[in-house]
Amino acid sequence: MKLASYRKKSPWILHYNAGGCNGCDIEILACLGPKYDIERFGMINTGNPKQSDILLVTGPVTKRSRERLVEIYAQMPEPKVVISCGACASTGGVFRGMYNCEGGIDQYIPVDVYVCGCGTRPEQIIDGVVQALGILEKKTKELEESVRLKKEAVNEGKQLNRRNIADEIKPLLS
Amino acid sequence: MAKQYEIPIGAQHISLLEPLHFKFTTENEKIVNTEANVFYVHRGIEQACVTKFKFRQVSFVVGRVCGLCSISHSTAYSQVAEKLLKIDIPIRAKYLRMLVIELDRIHSHLLCLSHVAENSGFEALFMKTMQYREFSMELLEAVCGNRIQYDFAIVGGVSRDLKPEVGQTILKRLKTFMPQLEEIVDIFKTNWTLSLKNKGAGIINKEMVYRLNAVGPFARAAGVPIDVRNETEDLLPWKEVGFEVVTETSGDVYARNLVRLKELYVSIRIIENIINGLPESALITETKAFPEGEATVRLEAPRGELFYYAKGNKTQVLERLKIKAPTFSNVAAMRAAFEGNEYASAPAIIASYDPCLSCTAR
Ligand code: SF4
Repeated sequence: MKLASYRKKSPWILHYNAGGCNGCDIEILACLGPKYDIERFGMINTGNPKQSDILLVTGPVTKRSRERLVEIYAQMPEPKVVISCGACASTGGVFRGMYNCEGGIDQYIPVDVYVCGCGTRPEQIIDGVVQALGILEKKTKELEESVRLKKEAVNEGKQLNRRNIADEIKPLLS
Repeated sequence: MAKQYEIPIGAQHISLLEPLHFKFTTENEKIVNTEANVFYVHRGIEQACVTKFKFRQVSFVVGRVCGLCSISHSTAYSQVAEKLLKIDIPIRAKYLRMLVIELDRIHSHLLCLSHVAENSGFEALFMKTMQYREFSMELLEAVCGNRIQYDFAIVGGVSRDLKPEVGQTILKRLKTFMPQLEEIVDIFKTNWTLSLKNKGAGIINKEMVYRLNAVGPFARAAGVPIDVRNETEDLLPWKEVGFEVVTETSGDVYARNLVRLKELYVSIRIIENIINGLPESALITETKAFPEGEATVRLEAPRGELFYYAKGNKTQVLERLKIKAPTFSNVAAMRAAFEGNEYASAPAIIASYDPCLSCTAR
């Protein structure tokens, strides 16, 4: 089964609010609704980090949601893409410098796509997610490549494999 | 005694828009105790408003307290600042503020209703409500220029005028919305499957409302006619534009749905009256004064009573700003209403509270 090809077509989205004003969150919800309907791209919103490919984060990271954000990120399986939705997730926005805010999620987890705007429009979110798909594909390739490279590093001439061993022990057995 | 289990919901959960943590103690699938943990998104806006920002900038900052009712926040702040400046705003600005507040109420209530439908397991109704909700977002964009953060109310008035053709569009779209609303009302009222999840779930009665200080649709669903629009007349002329209180009696999820749906009719009537009788005047009162003294303002946000307190000391920066959001008053009643319900209906009950944590935590 070609898992990679399915993943390319239907990435699953995980949404986390790290302290934003809900504005961007309701736009994400509007994206799921019939007018913008990102389900036609095969994306669905899941509640489980272990099944998701794309993490949509809104909000400047508040001190209390920081650990949860990192935890959720760590629970997601590779390859994964992080999208920061909105001005305050990307840079801190108006909340930058408030005493309980950290100013942007990229201080804690690597961000791949920044979506600007306060609040973001659904079109922008969809555009960001489509960009994220490209990145997801690239990351998948990189992941597979490194495995292949490791395999090829082994010099096959000197390596004993099972057939060689069988050939060697055949005369002994007979 | 049966064995008790503790089940947590949150802080990240599919049925929650925001980080909110409930810890249910259940006994035979019945909820016997609830702990609510709501302050995940505390940002420190109040403190920043009195140190980092000048008092004219604050109306844009407090809009970012909550994306769902940002116009209520910026209007309430503008009103409190106007009280401190001792100015009166033009009548057209008042009407336009009411117009946007009511449009915002439509989108907020429809969002909440769709959320209740989704959490009750009725995905089709969620999609339908979300589809019908889009018109209000488009109208808000036409009036204010942005889909969510409107920045419409500023200290002294409003930032944009309503063009006559936009007014006509609003009337036209409301007419097409009417049959759609009736369709949703019909489903919410008569659908048998939905009623299994909604009727009798999360009941709160009159006496509990008074004891636990619930506000907004939450209290009105229990038959208590608390509505700030009914009580204050000095800042925004609600009665003039045809406001009336709607209540229900049973106090369960079903009643809360109905209250929200009925309020949509009221909102639509208010919007139509405003557009048909929009008075002509300037949009903003200019003043060079600085805020001085203390003032409070109450305003009915989509979720209930919003309270602002401000104190100025004749400088550009306020001395104190206090925001009390409706959900903050409702938390105690929210906990009480869970008791005795099946754990399985908890998501629907949470959605029917329409909690707004970013308002609560500020
Ligand atoms: S970017 Fe603006 S609209 Fe979006 S969550 Fe932040 S403050 Fe709210």
